[in-house]
Amino acid sequence: MRTHRGTLVAATLVVVLAGCAAPVTKVDSGEQTVGDRLQVSLEGPWNQVRAPALAPAQVWTMEGLPLDRLLVYSGIKNEQLIHAEGPASLKNFAFRSTMQPDEIVAMFEGMLTRDGSSFKLVKLGPASFGGAKGFRFEFALTRRVDNVQLSGVGYGTVSNGELFALLYQAPRLAFFPRHQPRVEQMARSARIKT
Amino acid sequence: MRRRDFLACACCASLAPGLAAAQPAWEIPARFARPDAGSDEGGLWSMMDREEVRLRKSPFSLRDPKLQAYVQDIACRLAGEHCPDVRVHLVRTPLFNASMAPNGMMQVWSGLMLRADNEAQLAAVLGHEIGHYLARHSVERLRDAKSRSAFGMFIGMFGAVGAVGQVGLYAGMFAYSREHESQADSIGVLLMRKAGYDAAEAAKVWENLQLEIKARPDGDASRSPFFATHPPAAERQQALAELARASPGGAANEAQWREGVKPFLRDWLHEEVKRGQHEESLALLGRMIARSPALADYRWARGEVYRLRAKDGDLDSAVADYLAAIADGGEPPDTHRGLGMIHRARNQAAEARASFQRYLEAAPDAADFTMIKSYLEELRT
Repeated sequence: MRTHRGTLVAATLVVVLAGCAAPVTKVDSGEQTVGDRLQVSLEGPWNQVRAPALAPAQVWTMEGLPLDRLLVYSGIKNEQLIHAEGPASLKNFAFRSTMQPDEIVAMFEGMLTRDGSSFKLVKLGPASFGGAKGFRFEFALTRRVDNVQLSGVGYGTVSNGELFALLYQAPRLAFFPRHQPRVEQMARSARIKT
Repeated sequence: MRRRDFLACACCASLAPGLAAAQPAWEIPARFARPDAGSDEGGLWSMMDREEVRLRKSPFSLRDPKLQAYVQDIACRLAGEHCPDVRVHLVRTPLFNASMAPNGMMQVWSGLMLRADNEAQLAAVLGHEIGHYLARHSVERLRDAKSRSAFGMFIGMFGAVGAVGQVGLYAGMFAYSREHESQADSIGVLLMRKAGYDAAEAAKVWENLQLEIKARPDGDASRSPFFATHPPAAERQQALAELARASPGGAANEAQWREGVKPFLRDWLHEEVKRGQHEESLALLGRMIARSPALADYRWARGEVYRLRAKDGDLDSAVADYLAAIADGGEPPDTHRGLGMIHRARNQAAEARASFQRYLEAAPDAADFTMIKSYLEELRT
């Protein structure tokens, strides 16, 4: 009865291959601009990984993929996919400029669970992001490929119909608490250039 | 009976029901002894045993003794003498799927249980999987999987994706042959009849599945990896309907099934909505609402799918479903949240406030409590 197993496998391949043999570059401390318009201040360097499957997000990591992952979205336009288009059997997730915070979170949830992983929203509330009115959310993710339990935090805002967001996830026991303060600081420093 | 004879006999009985009536009754083979550990099959069993240990500990395992015992009992009625060798594991995954490994480990996914209208429909799927097991199709496929990479794909046939490392990632690219699938269907129908189930429900499983497949935006089932190796759903439905006509009667046990899965329905619907496969979900939920028009959970779920899809007219459809759920009574608290979101987006402040207030009263521990609270404050100004 394996009607959907192929779908799960394709999704898993996309996720895993996203981290395979990807070139890594250093992102230095200090002021950095992501895309054209999202400016952040970093307290300490990050590693940027080339992961076309997750484009248009920039993919950053402290420990290396697939341990921890920071997705940075800068200026996602109406109807634009938040990941690379996958096989026809996989659902694609696109941003709509009319989305409310819960719909944006649902969109990220859909993307993160395309491989059969399990997502649970822990908290969603208003927060300033990029100098604008936005939202912050926390989530728990159980990764299908290895059953690892991850914690995550996200920030987002819609500015002039474009989405700006950060999405960080890491194993909940050691890595997430280790790097969360750095992500929170980065989110607080974010500014959208007009 | 030798395996080849058994398969040939099963094939006769299944593919030519009229002829089968004149044939000696097909008999289920005796319980299988554990294969020698040094054999290829013995190695496979050991690997599946390890996989089963992991499955028991998996966070995706649905650990409810009552539901587990209920589904195990259905499997046992189908498996007969093989019952002690069949171990059912319920898995929390919102997709239509079940599998059975050669060591007797059977996985039943929550998406399948959500889609079954009655016991007989679940029995049709479990009977099919037990059919693969009784016919030892997996051993034939094992011997086909010569290369290391093909073996990895083979292991994935039993739902071991993710638990055996990257070697399992190719699961689904290696599946039973069409011939094996047809034979398993035939054996499944025979087991259903023997267990007293209405075999006509087996064809309905595929009829229902076709509704979802056709609703996909591409509407093309042939693009699914599943249909590369499986008989098309329509062909399968027709063959199963023919088999069922040869021996009508039997029970569907709809009321028992509904009662058994009732405590889990809301969770499973939440997971279905969150899949984001809006068109498939709408087809599924439309069918469910037609069967149980007064069940608020189905109305809420469809309203939620419409709201999240948000195409032309969807928000009106969402409001209609949310209101119908509220009218039915016993609606999930999220019904009021969804309604509030739409009113807020439409600048209907008073209605939005009322809906959000009802949501927070019904769900004071909601994850988005502070977000909704902020909307209420914003709507007061």
